[in-house]
Amino acid sequence: MKTVLRAALVVASLVSVPFASAGDRVFDGGFDDRTEGPHSDAAAARFLTQATFGPSMATIRALRQTGYNAWFASQAAVAPSRHRPYLESQAAAGLDVYQNSRQEAWWLHSVRAPDQLRQRVAFALSELLVVSDQGGAIEGYPIAMANYYDLLVDGAFGNYRELLEKVTLSPVMGHYLSMFKNRKPDEATGIRPDENYAREIMQLFSVGLVRLNMDGSVVMSGGQPVPTYDQDTIRGFAHVFTGWNWANCPGTDSGQSWRWDWCPSGPVDWPNPGWDAYWMQPMAPWQTYHASAGTKQLLVYPGVTLPGGVLPAGGTAQSNLQAALDNLFNHPNVAPFIAKHLIRRLVSSNPSPAYVGRVAAVFANNGTGVRGDLGATVRAVLMDSEARTLPSLASNRGKLREPLLRLSHLWRALDGRADDGRYREWNPDYYLGQAALRSPTVFNFFLPDYRPPGELTALGLDGPEFQITTDTTIASATMGLAYKIFYAWRGMPDQSPDDIVVDLQPELAFASDPVRLVDRYDLLFMNRTMSPHMFTTLVNYAQTFENTANGRRQRVQETLWLVMGSPEYAIER
Amino acid sequence: MKRRDFLQRALCATAGSALFTSFAGKLSLAHAATTANGRLLGNDYRALVCVYLYGGNDAFNMLVPRSGTPRTRYAASRGALALPVDTLRALNPLAAPVDGGTYGFAADMPRLATLFNQANSPLALVTNVGPLLYPITKAQYTAGSVPVPTQLFSHSDQSVTWQQPAADMIVRRGWGGRLADMFHATNPNPSLSMNISVDGENVFQAGDDVVPYFVGQNGAESMWMVDDSPWNADRRAAFVALRDASHGHALQRQYAAVMRRSMANGADINAALEGEAALATAFPDTHLGRQLRMVARLIHVRATLQMERQIFFVGLGGFDTHDNQLEDQATQLGELDGALASFHAATVEMGLANAVTTFTASEFGRTTSINGDGTDHGWGSHHLVLGGAVSGRRFYGGLPDLSIEGPDDAGWGQIIPTTSVDQYAATLARWYGVAQGDLSTVFPNIGRFATSNLGFMAAT
Repeated sequence: MKTVLRAALVVASLVSVPFASAGDRVFDGGFDDRTEGPHSDAAAARFLTQATFGPSMATIRALRQTGYNAWFASQAAVAPSRHRPYLESQAAAGLDVYQNSRQEAWWLHSVRAPDQLRQRVAFALSELLVVSDQGGAIEGYPIAMANYYDLLVDGAFGNYRELLEKVTLSPVMGHYLSMFKNRKPDEATGIRPDENYAREIMQLFSVGLVRLNMDGSVVMSGGQPVPTYDQDTIRGFAHVFTGWNWANCPGTDSGQSWRWDWCPSGPVDWPNPGWDAYWMQPMAPWQTYHASAGTKQLLVYPGVTLPGGVLPAGGTAQSNLQAALDNLFNHPNVAPFIAKHLIRRLVSSNPSPAYVGRVAAVFANNGTGVRGDLGATVRAVLMDSEARTLPSLASNRGKLREPLLRLSHLWRALDGRADDGRYREWNPDYYLGQAALRSPTVFNFFLPDYRPPGELTALGLDGPEFQITTDTTIASATMGLAYKIFYAWRGMPDQSPDDIVVDLQPELAFASDPVRLVDRYDLLFMNRTMSPHMFTTLVNYAQTFENTANGRRQRVQETLWLVMGSPEYAIER
Repeated sequence: MKRRDFLQRALCATAGSALFTSFAGKLSLAHAATTANGRLLGNDYRALVCVYLYGGNDAFNMLVPRSGTPRTRYAASRGALALPVDTLRALNPLAAPVDGGTYGFAADMPRLATLFNQANSPLALVTNVGPLLYPITKAQYTAGSVPVPTQLFSHSDQSVTWQQPAADMIVRRGWGGRLADMFHATNPNPSLSMNISVDGENVFQAGDDVVPYFVGQNGAESMWMVDDSPWNADRRAAFVALRDASHGHALQRQYAAVMRRSMANGADINAALEGEAALATAFPDTHLGRQLRMVARLIHVRATLQMERQIFFVGLGGFDTHDNQLEDQATQLGELDGALASFHAATVEMGLANAVTTFTASEFGRTTSINGDGTDHGWGSHHLVLGGAVSGRRFYGGLPDLSIEGPDDAGWGQIIPTTSVDQYAATLARWYGVAQGDLSTVFPNIGRFATSNLGFMAAT
């Protein structure tokens, strides 16, 4: 019987079927009564790999029952799970709140929050609109950083223009990229506006360095990429982004420089509660420190509203900021730039130009004439035929799973949690090379077009996540997962209430039959893309352990770890 | 088809870069020459160590004028950020720099100042270096009549440009990678990469044949659950079977390749380090200190690892001082000072001072103008070269006029380099063993500049 079943499974696992024509598999439940799908457990698992922090048996079943459309609707309707309140509740309980608390909140919501799509998109945005606690100016402000993350959570399905403005005026970004207290030129002291934010908002948050076609390909002229802007543009934006300080400064715009310099971060002095209150509020303008005089060169592009891309002299800090953000947001690059970022974070490192073009078109116009609708854009990313059809191996589509998402996957699939409810996974960067809002620089953990030397460069394939997959981190991440599987399970000897442990109990039921066990992980971890060779290797290895209580636990743990340490798992298709 | 052939063919087909193809072709010839005549074999260890300062070090506040016109100009440009004369560590060079000025290191660099000022100094200053396509004057820059590297002043681009053998290369290869392509066959151990990074991925060490190997500050990460202990045999067999399967997807093959390399080399390196007699030299317990300590230890066990030519990469971040510069840069320079001085002492302890040369790199200098409490992205910058083979206690290169809107200012205090990265790198490459006639193979643009040898390395 076992041999027959295994053969059937192996044969079935060879068949790659587009969702529209998929038949039920041996263990599929048969909820196949909607037209839009998913039409198989594998298709559901695949979607949940892209749209959440990892599938579980329960979420696969739920998605099959509701269908994609209702799932999107429910995800849009569920209240956002915000991160800042978690930190504040810890502070209220008398705990010291450091960046550790922010990481706890991130794990809690990534692993457990019902608004999974929103959280996943917020994480993708956090790798675009980057701030990092590695930046000394914000390291000491975990609650403010959680509040920044909540801007991304709240804005995940909102409009990108609005999000860009909120990010720009966030004191966290203001400190990270030094727009906070950036001031107009002063010839007497030789001071001129700081270019940091001007440069990065263009290069990293909106248009990039070179002109793009709608399908994300680079516009060439005379064999060279066409630059999007030059140093004059950077200076223009640097002048725009001047004159912003804490909200509620006493004596705002009194023209007294000591007030500008010594404006406090809250209405009361440290350490009274509220001393940092203005960290949570948008920065406020001071006209006397804004570079109102002089024209400002902004971006030039076909159809630009400002003649020649030049912002006329005059205007206030607010009006000039609005005009500059509009100038940025309406640049044709923004649609393919954001589309490609979201595709890369959720679906594939090497999308076809046509796929990028289709998503960019939705960013440019959501169907009702609105530009920048992130909710519609995210849906376009996930429901595109290129996202929903399992790509062939030879297509090289898909991506290397981010290390953080591997651990979240394990914990969602096997209900990883601590008895006391907290997630003390404070420093995943030590072994995974990644932690939320903790990249080394504003350039994120990896560059979007990173290509490792060797075959990928020769083939012209991007593999951004390979930039943090070094000889060191590939081993530390794989061994880190081993600790989570072998030494952190519910019921283990000496388990303490603060250990985050996986629940092996539901797995043990399958362990007496290694074929069923491997089939379960083929679905739960690999969306049934496991090769026959891998399937057979795992079954044979699992069978080397006795079919006893202890042996079954080993079968589960050994199989899980071998799956998660394999190249076939590492590359999600 | 061999992998190398496959790669070259694929590159010809996809990149369409004639420049690159001819590079690879010529390099393999050069490579054949170095191994055929065997001039590098034998007891002739050499190592280059790249210390990358991420973010763009403000070298104009690292090496600071102390008197005269240079001081006046510096003080005028730097305003509130000008370092006071009495805080500087005075430098006493064997010959006055070209501007006739007197200079000092920032206060937090006492050990490097001592090294610079000592007899038989191992520390040289190479001044106003930056990525260039051709020598260029301000008039040419302003008129746009001489091309410059694309995307000047951008972190990501200039950091790549700085590490490449030419500022207009399209393929992400570093000149350290090019050297390794030429020299790796001289290492008796063919399996361990001659390029080792203690700070992760970088362009500098990437070659066509040679892929850099990454270690941590405490050695290689161990995959001990699948090591070759007898009790792991079954698990290891299964793990390796999954790893080495015939993978149909290029990203799977890449992942498997990294895993294979990690496991094989990790085991060798850790075994070598375990057998190492401890170095007496103490290193500061800092990010850079720990990295350079690991480099010293790896050099120490070079015989066990059977390496004769090595190139190392270490890095220190935090130099992007748009604000709070006085405080932040002081910390960074202090870390650089302690780590470099200790590393040099360790090479002396090992009797290898003449065989190891350490140099700084950073994507750009910073504007001479200030934005309040910080500086922005510039272009040219000063660099340090350290080692027993260095002709130290001297300045090499031009010293720019730091005046805002002065003759060396491309605009807003972004100083036009007077020495190209190509020249800086070629001088190091000559010392490393590249023949004069092969220089243009590694550095295709080197012929555009007045000299390929800046003279800061003792003749070999």
